[in-house]
Amino acid sequence: MQWVTIRLFAVHFWRNATAPKSFYLLFFIFILLTAYSAVSGIKNHTTQNDIRQEHQIKARQSWEANPDKHPHRMAHFGTFAFRIHPTLGIFDYGLESFTGNMVFLEAHRQNSVNFSEATFSTGMLRFGELSLALLLQIVLPLILFFIGFSSVAGDKQNGTLKILLSQGATWKEILFGKSIGLFAISLLFFIPILLVVILALLLFETPLVNDFRWLRLLIIGMSYLIFLFIVSSITVVISASSNIPKNALLRLLGIWLLLVILLPKSAQAMGNYWFPTPSKLAFQSAIEKEVVQKGDSHNPNDPHYNHLRDSVLAVHKVSKITDLPFNYSGFVMREGEKITAALYRKHHSKLVNLYKNQNDLTRFSSFINPFTAIKVISMTMSGTDFSSYIDFQDKTDDYRYQLAQTMNELQMEYISPKKESGSEGKTHVVGHEHWSAFQDFKHEPMVFANSMKEAFPAVLSILFWAIGTIGLVLFVSKRVKAI
Amino acid sequence: MMLYKLFLQQCIRSKEVWISLILITLLGVLGIIIGNKHLKRQQDAIAEVKTYQEEHFDRQVSLHNDDLGLLLYYANFAYINTLNPLAGLSIGQSDVYPTVKRITIKTFEAQKYDTDLVNPMNLQSGNLDLSFVIIYLFPLLVIVLTFNAVSEETETGTWRLIAIQSKSKLGFITSKLLVRLILLCTILIFLFFVAKLILNLSLDARFFWMFGLSILYILFWFTVSFFIIIFKKSSGFNALLLLSVWLVLMILLPAGINAYVTSKYPVPEALSTAIAQRDGYHVKWDTDKRATIEKFYQHYPQFKRYGYPTDGFNWLWYYAMQQMGDDDSKEQQEAFSTKLILRENVSSQIASVIPSMHLQLAFNQLAGTSMSQQQEYLNATDAFHEELRLFFYPKIFESQLADTIDWNQFVPEYYKTKTTLKPLKAIVPLVVASVILILFSIPMTKRL
Repeated sequence: MQWVTIRLFAVHFWRNATAPKSFYLLFFIFILLTAYSAVSGIKNHTTQNDIRQEHQIKARQSWEANPDKHPHRMAHFGTFAFRIHPTLGIFDYGLESFTGNMVFLEAHRQNSVNFSEATFSTGMLRFGELSLALLLQIVLPLILFFIGFSSVAGDKQNGTLKILLSQGATWKEILFGKSIGLFAISLLFFIPILLVVILALLLFETPLVNDFRWLRLLIIGMSYLIFLFIVSSITVVISASSNIPKNALLRLLGIWLLLVILLPKSAQAMGNYWFPTPSKLAFQSAIEKEVVQKGDSHNPNDPHYNHLRDSVLAVHKVSKITDLPFNYSGFVMREGEKITAALYRKHHSKLVNLYKNQNDLTRFSSFINPFTAIKVISMTMSGTDFSSYIDFQDKTDDYRYQLAQTMNELQMEYISPKKESGSEGKTHVVGHEHWSAFQDFKHEPMVFANSMKEAFPAVLSILFWAIGTIGLVLFVSKRVKAI
Repeated sequence: MMLYKLFLQQCIRSKEVWISLILITLLGVLGIIIGNKHLKRQQDAIAEVKTYQEEHFDRQVSLHNDDLGLLLYYANFAYINTLNPLAGLSIGQSDVYPTVKRITIKTFEAQKYDTDLVNPMNLQSGNLDLSFVIIYLFPLLVIVLTFNAVSEETETGTWRLIAIQSKSKLGFITSKLLVRLILLCTILIFLFFVAKLILNLSLDARFFWMFGLSILYILFWFTVSFFIIIFKKSSGFNALLLLSVWLVLMILLPAGINAYVTSKYPVPEALSTAIAQRDGYHVKWDTDKRATIEKFYQHYPQFKRYGYPTDGFNWLWYYAMQQMGDDDSKEQQEAFSTKLILRENVSSQIASVIPSMHLQLAFNQLAGTSMSQQQEYLNATDAFHEELRLFFYPKIFESQLADTIDWNQFVPEYYKTKTTLKPLKAIVPLVVASVILILFSIPMTKRL
């Protein structure tokens, strides 16, 4: 195998493929699509973040505008947490449109994250969204198939292949040469998109958050390079093992349909079918049941809280809760919040695990489907995947817990122990300076290491695919026939 | 007749055709099973809610018998959007939106948009239901069956014979396509039959509309194919072109339009409404009680007789505050729903020129799983909520004991989705698209 010959084939392939006018038409259309999706991606990113930021400020302002009041009122006044659209979301929309953007955080209650784009949309959204990632994952492979399907089968049909082989070229050189040629053409399509993303990242540079965006982009870029090489080589291999170009094209299209549409959809559908998740009611009442067992702070005769009261009274050597050095009702609520929050988290992580099981079918199908591999890597690294969303949910719940407990502690400290219950009125109040002292929620993106862990199987699989593809080319080069 | 039999034999002679026919039938059946599972899940959720609600009231009454106001702080009432069995064929948006809502009589806006527990990955991947098979995969089958209907004759050299022997070349091609159309319709009939059995569908107008629209849609794809193959280009070229058309109609155009609608019509109103309803209620804890109650009486003059209790905490004032969450956010709510209607209208207008999207929206409409029908359900839930309020408000304000109320009457209530059949609106886009393609083909048929 000689490098010079490989290069010759690659350069020759490039020249042949880029010669016809139709190639430029195709390229032009692709660039138009790139521009369109880049503009709509950037526009969506900025408007969404502007909207969310504006409302975050608005919600905060009305939080801080509260006068002196009972802290438990503030715990219920609550606050809103808004999800920040990640910068790389410009490139890969991932699950963005299907995850809620805003959640109301208050004491005692874990509210749902509401208002996803999908809830504002008609059934149209299910056809997909035009993003730069979609162009690379779905459209570019098709273009490569169209450009490359006759790469070897065409030579076979018109007889040039026999001449090439008789003049001393080896199959290996032909296959690798043409694969590299096709791969080089794919770069022609890939580089503009990469440049657009780099530009967007520079444009939206925020020095405050260190989300490793450049490292993320590097991994995304490398993965797409590997992916495009895999697609190019497979195109050439299929072309080589078909006797006429038409068959090669049909096979490639069959592969595309199977790997892009049918397999991913069935994998997720199977996961959904095999791992049924509880309904919202079943989920909530399971928690409710356990809360009642453990101690229901709303039940005046609850044994857990009666016991707690007796022991607290004993420790402080007093006979009435109004004689305690702190507000007892705040103390009970702190205890109640601790119990319910722990139980909620337990059940919620069980639910998330079920979802993960459902999604694992997709994640691990990347070992049989390189298209899924690149999809998973791309959205995980862009921070628009499932784990990023769960990360947001967990962070809001932590904040919610902080909020509730801070208010309970303020109540214990500042509200007279004589005030047994109730939070109404202007007598038993806490100064409003405490409200602004409690920091606003700020959505920090998921740490890089977690994204990496999440994407690891897919990254591994794409490396396997790369090695496998080279192996395949070598294997085919020994088996393939010239006629 | 003999001719058609031969055409059929010729068509199903190849292995690829058999495989794709079997594959699509299997996927169709799989889609029906998945749809059935979706319906089954809702049935289970309804059964759960039924038993839960009985126990729920017993427990609340035993805990808070002498404090009805507190009881209704906790008590929730189920309102169920019963899915039409056709939703099993076209799951549509019924996986994004909750179909079983449990609401309290407190601020409605704070509960209206609560979502179910869903895995966003499932939503993004979309449902593999029968509507997907019909909209995405049947066109592919049309392509597979027809792309070489003419070119195979020229490529194998039989075209000249046909040109001499048959009475009409056009008749020859159309009858060849007709055989394939009948073949696909048979599969479609089979799938609808299976769907009827598995999903226990009633053979009503909507069922036949769905079927009829599917036939028209397939017919549309035949006209697309006819328009392309009539140019007598090579098989490879036809396949390429037809698949490009498929790609544009199924992925590029819908995705591009989505991007357009999303960025053109963002919905900040949703977030504003949420903040407005919170502030509407919560700031009332600090404002003048009498003013709040007066505002409440402006809305419900019939309760004026309960006076103005402003001393300390009382339930009249509390529920008046809760009411303000809804009343004071009216402006934002209206802006929000206007925006949603605008979005829906824009979407369906654009969709009407793209058969694939049009059919999806028409299916969802027939199955009761469209966005507008979800909005109607939410509005009905609002009315249900109002009924509960009006029932309980006087009882709370009179401090009635909880056990004087017959709680057994509060079984889960059911909402039935309304489907407005607009035959013309559903058919016209498909028929017009087909007719246009046929008109465009006419000049070519003369040069066969």
